[in-house]
Order: sequence, then structure tokens, then C-alpha cells
Amino acid sequence: MELIIKNGAVYDPVNGINGDKTDISVRSGKIVDKVSANATVIDAGGRLVMAGGVDAHSHIAGAKVNVGRIMRPEDTRSGIKPRTKITRPCTGYTVPNVYAMGYRYAQMGYTTVFEAAQAIMKARHTHEELEEIPIIDKGALTLFGSNWPTMDFVREKDMDKLAAYVAWGLLASRGFGVKCVNPGGGEMWGFGKNVSGLDDVVPNFDVTPREIIVSLMKANEMLGLPHSVHLHCNNLGKPGNYKTTLASMELANQVKASKDRQVLHVTHLTFNSWGGTNWGDFESKADEVANYLNNNDNVTGDMGQLVWGSATTMTADGPVQYANAKLLHAKWGNGDVELEDASGVVPIYYVKQISVHAIMWAIGLELALLTKDPYKMLLTTDHPNGGPFVNYPEVIALLMSNKKRQEEIKTLHEAVHARTKIPGIERELDFSEIAIMTRAGTAKVLGLLDTKGHLGAGADADISIYDIKPDQIDPSVEHAKIKSAFSSAAYVIKGGQVVVKDGQITATPPGRTYWVDASVPGQHTSEMMKDIVKKFKNYYSMQLANYMVQDEYVTHAQVVKAGAIPVEVS
Amino acid sequence: MQTITIKPKKEMKISVEAENICPDKFAGKTEKEIQSLEAWVGNQKTTLGELFSIIVEGSAPAADTKILMEGDFSRVKRIGEGMTCGLVIINGNVDMHLGNKMSGGNISVKGNVDSWAGREMKGGELIIEGNAGYYLGSGYRGETCGMRGGKITLLGNALDFVGEHMCGGEIIVKGNTGILPGLSNNGGKIVIEGNTSRPGSEMSKGTIIINGIVDEMMPVFKFEGNEDLDGVTYKKYTGDVISNGKGLLYVK
Repeated sequence: MELIIKNGAVYDPVNGINGDKTDISVRSGKIVDKVSANATVIDAGGRLVMAGGVDAHSHIAGAKVNVGRIMRPEDTRSGIKPRTKITRPCTGYTVPNVYAMGYRYAQMGYTTVFEAAQAIMKARHTHEELEEIPIIDKGALTLFGSNWPTMDFVREKDMDKLAAYVAWGLLASRGFGVKCVNPGGGEMWGFGKNVSGLDDVVPNFDVTPREIIVSLMKANEMLGLPHSVHLHCNNLGKPGNYKTTLASMELANQVKASKDRQVLHVTHLTFNSWGGTNWGDFESKADEVANYLNNNDNVTGDMGQLVWGSATTMTADGPVQYANAKLLHAKWGNGDVELEDASGVVPIYYVKQISVHAIMWAIGLELALLTKDPYKMLLTTDHPNGGPFVNYPEVIALLMSNKKRQEEIKTLHEAVHARTKIPGIERELDFSEIAIMTRAGTAKVLGLLDTKGHLGAGADADISIYDIKPDQIDPSVEHAKIKSAFSSAAYVIKGGQVVVKDGQITATPPGRTYWVDASVPGQHTSEMMKDIVKKFKNYYSMQLANYMVQDEYVTHAQVVKAGAIPVEVS
Repeated sequence: MQTITIKPKKEMKISVEAENICPDKFAGKTEKEIQSLEAWVGNQKTTLGELFSIIVEGSAPAADTKILMEGDFSRVKRIGEGMTCGLVIINGNVDMHLGNKMSGGNISVKGNVDSWAGREMKGGELIIEGNAGYYLGSGYRGETCGMRGGKITLLGNALDFVGEHMCGGEIIVKGNTGILPGLSNNGGKIVIEGNTSRPGSEMSKGTIIINGIVDEMMPVFKFEGNEDLDGVTYKKYTGDVISNGKGLLYVK
């Protein structure tokens, strides 16, 4: 099957194409240099063409998401769409059903999405949902930050065992990368406590969050994993936490990257760039965080932009969710995953006239606009924590139009003027920068730039065409058109197949699931397994034999190979 | 003035979803147009004309529209959903979700109503002469804000959870209610003339006044002494103290 897209205004920053009229040829699901004259022609008619969107951080599947669904039946009352001949029924807004996840991402031109947190023990559930999410490619990052074996090996300073555990944990969970959420805090939440900074000692394990983060980064680079450590910082959700965030970012200097990418990805920075000492003097410190990113090349971040209205916060950070539920008098879902972290789910409603919410809205945008290199600041809403992913087009419009931002600021709590810098920021991103924040940059951060996030020969044929002509539109003024075009793509091609036309789903192929098979020396694994066997015997409620996700749960697997290589420690 | 008279054509055994029976939807429409409006019987789509005999007199905007319903509607749900004005008079019983999300107008029922009458209503008035089911003026499953405004007057008795998650408005019950009226309240006022049990747990705001006998009090209220309201002496409580609530509970 051959396909050629003609007359598109192509934005492909990886290959240096910046709105030029370039033909894109597709054969057998891949982009190629040329195709025969028999190829099906899609005439883009001067419209915007980009690679399929890639999302590096979104909560789309697994135990937490399902807890959100169960505790929010009211959410299911919105977004109801009956089945059609080819699509299944859709429900929900912040926690949609699995089918809606796939359809709605595809309709926005996204073709690859990564679930941001799965505990190994709960991974089978994650994969059961991922299997049912249609169209898009996906994968899941595995939690390691508060796992007992991690903390044991960190205390023993046994990097070989730690690397072997990470490799084995990725295999057991069919995971793609190392997620680290409030390291140490998840364990302490089991005792109703939390860590308050990088140097608090986790009782019973005698390790600090600082040691956990650095060791996991070293293990990550020893294994040469495609993605770096993906960190949700300590103290998230507390005023003044930007200091912890900056201190965590500095830890990246202790480890050298094994690949052409960052050493540390710090996620949903909207929730981590907070100044002040309490909710009364709460302020934005996004400028300090952006400044750090501007001066350092080994750390990347993503926005976690806040969107007005309903959201469902869900995270492996159990203690912060308890605090949220108490603060908001909201429903509270709490989870404990035995030896592996905790979790919490709390619904929230973001209101323009609440000062903290208005400032948080500004923080996300400040981060994106003050970080000079868009490769370092990805576009996310930390779905559904900052807001559901269907609002990405709104965020794109805000980033592309100062006029829209100024109109919005007029409707917000006045704190946004005094305690953020957003009113004075005039930068407007162009299509190329948006393509980086939603495609090229995300693919690079994930380590998938060879096949995702660009339109050069050899890449997957994931292509979106949007109903705007870049040479005839002024995004600054016509931001409503930008938003509507990005909400509903004119064409989306996934693996060479047209899956969306004029915003409607036309085909629902199953997507693939990425996971990483990292090799380590056999004796490291067998040494490490002695400890694991002991853990299962003494502490786990389940048998080791039932722990690992079987291949039957990952029927469309895309295995990425990695393996132990020496790491230079400076 | 536009008057629409609706009568069931036959006995309904399977529940009917008829959110189109609403002054806003009927206003200015002809008999034919109203008869062709959609309704669901179980999982089968049908029209109002198939289920009901409908007679229309005159034509007027929604504010001057009166819907007169005669007969047994005890399997008909969602009557008056989202209505903003006009008048609905029901001479009979109705099923669940009467007047849900209504923001104006007036619904008057001579018979009984099933659960979730006036759920999440924002304004207008609902008068029920018979009895009500569970969750009168409450929020639907998972909703944290139930009735937000308007007034419900119930002459008969209600079952459990009257005004759960209420955020505003007023509910007056002349008869008795089941357990936990005003559960998780966050505003509004509930007056119960008859008896009830365990009122106002998890309240953070709002007022509950009980003139009858309270079988059992939840141990989460703080006694604040006696207080006179309109010449009647009540025992005044505040709570729910566990959730740091500022709700007011008056018991005679």
C-alpha cells in the first residue's frame, strides 16, 4: 500500500523543514523517499502537515485511572457518544473509557501516547487497558522510586543489582522506562508520613531521596534505556517546592547520558514551580525553573498545564493526595501497592477566580514561554491532573497567541498580575516550535526519534494534516481557528493507514505497545533474584510466579532492546 | 397561552425516558411536531405520539406554556428535565428524575414521585402533594453538588437522603423523612415538619430545621444551647465537627 501526501505545508523541525511544500511518500507503514505512480494521492491543498503527535506523559491506563472512573460516576455523564459502525461507545471527560482514549487522541492528530506510571504489581491491569485502546501506539513507564528492592540496593550501593532489578522490573511490567514519584515518600506514606526534602532519611531503609534519584539515573544510563529517568519531584503540591525541584535537577550533573538525550526528565512542572511559604503568599517561580533549563542541557521538563474546569488528579504520590482531599473537602481514593509505592486519586475543579488556580495556570504557560529551547519543555496537561488531554488545542492556541492570553488574564483572579510574570510575556510560539513541543521534542525525550516525531525516510508513517493554511493565517489573531483545527484533524495517518478524516474516525487498527528489554550480565540477575525471592517469601501477598506480565497481555508488542554498558560517573 | 394535554395511551410496564416533556421543548410547536419528539421505551427509540395522546391548544413561548398531564405516569422518567420556565401540572404519579436540572418554571404533582425528584435543580419550584422516593433534591451518583437553587415543597413523606449534597435552595417536607436528610450538605435549607433520623451528617454548610421527632442524632454535632426561630425554641447544633463543618441543625 503506497500513499503520497502532496502540497502540504510541512513542519518537520528534525529534518529542517519549516512550512515548505514537500511531498511525503509512504510505503508499508513507513515514510520513504519516493513511491510509484500508483500511490494513492492525498492533496493537502497547502494545509498544515506535521508528524503524528507524541505524548510523553499522560495517565491513560491502569489501576489509578480505573479508580478515577469508579469514584467519579458523574464524569461518565459527559462526553457520551453512541457507537457507530466502526467505533465503540465513548463516555467521560477527565477519565474517559478506554476506547475514547484512543479515538480522542487520534482525532487531535496524536498517534503515540505514554502512560506515565504503573506499579509492576499492577502492570497487568495497565496492559489490559492498553490492549483495548485503539489506534494509537503506547507504552507505560514503570515506578521504581519507592520500591523496597530499589531502596535496598541503593543503601547497599550495589549498582549492578539495581540495574539488574530495573531491567527485570521493566520485563516484569513490560514497561518502557523508569518513573520515580516522590522517591521515598511513597514508602513513608505507608506509615502516614512523607519526606520533606532530598535529604530526609526514609526509615527502615536508611536512604535519602537524593540517593534514590542519583542511583536510578546511574542504573538507567548503565542500561542505556531509550528514555531517561522520569521524575515527579519530592514536595510536589507544596508552596516553595521550586527549591526542591531545582535541587533535584542539579542531581543530573552527577550522571553522564549514555545517549543523545537528557539524563533527567522532570515532569508536570506546573505543580513543582511554586514559590511562597503558604497558600496566602503562593507565587510562581516558573522563571527560576525555566532559567535553570536554559542554562543546562541535561534536564528536560513538561508543562502539566492547568485547564479550567473539571480534572481528576491521580498520582503515585499518596501523601500529596491526602493533603489535597483534606484541603478541598473532596472525594479521596487511596492506594497502597505493597512493596511498591502508594497512590491517590482526588477530583478537582479549577476555577479562574481562585488565586492559586490562576497562578498555576500562569506557571504552565510561563514555563513554556520562558524556556528558550522547545525541545526542553514538552506540551502536556499531565492528563487528567491539570486537565484532560482533549484540551491540548486550547494550550496550543494560548502559546501561539499573546492576544488570547491577555484576554484570558482579564478574567482571572488579580493575583495573576502580582505573583506571576505571564502578563508581561509577549513571546508567541510558531508552528515549528509547537511541532517540537508535541512531536519532535517528545520523541527525542522518549528516545524514539528514529521512528517517531518526524517525517524523514525511515520514520513511522504517522502523519497529521490540520485544516489551516500556515501562510494565510495569523495565529496571534485567529487563535480560535488554531484551536478548532488542532481539535479535529483533517487527516490522521497512522502506520500508513488513514484513521481520521475531517475529524471523524475512519479506521480503528490496534496500536502497538512499546516496552524495553534490557540485558544485564546473568550473574547480576541471579544475585538480585535471591533478594527478590526473599521479598516474595516474606512480604508480598502474591507468588513470584504470578508476578510477571505474560506476553498474552501484550499482543501488539514493539520491543526496544537495551543493555548494560559502562557509565562514566563524574 | 399554549396548553398541552398529555394522557397515556396504554399502561406502561417498561420505563420510558421522556426528557422532551418540557415547556421549553413544546413551546410554539404544533401537535404533530410534539407527537414526533423522541422518547425511549427501555432500549427502543420511539416518539411521544406513540405513547401518549397529545392535544395542543394555542401557541405561545415557553414562559406561557402549560403542560397538563392526566393519568398514571409512574413509569415515565425525566419529565421537565432542564426546564427554564412554564408550567407542568401532573394529575398522577411519576417516575424518577422529575424536574432534574430545572432552572425555572413550576412543576406541580398531585400524586407521588419516585427517587431523585428535583435533582441538581437550580431554580423554579416543585410542589409534590403525594410522597417522594429517595434522594429528593439531591445530586446524582458521584455529583458533589445536588440542589443549587429553587424550592421543593413536599406535602407527604420522603424516603432517605433528602437533599444530599445540597448547595442551595430550599426543601420543605410536611411529612416524615427517612434517614440522613441533608447528608454532606454544603448550603441551602431543609425544613422537616415530621419525624426523621440521623440528620445532617458530613455537613459543611447549610441549615436543617426539624419540627418533629429525631429518632437518633449522629454524634458529630456540637450542642450550642437553645435558640428561638420565629418564636419557637429549638436546640441548636453545629457540625459536622469531624469535617470541620459550619452547618446548622435545629431540633425542636
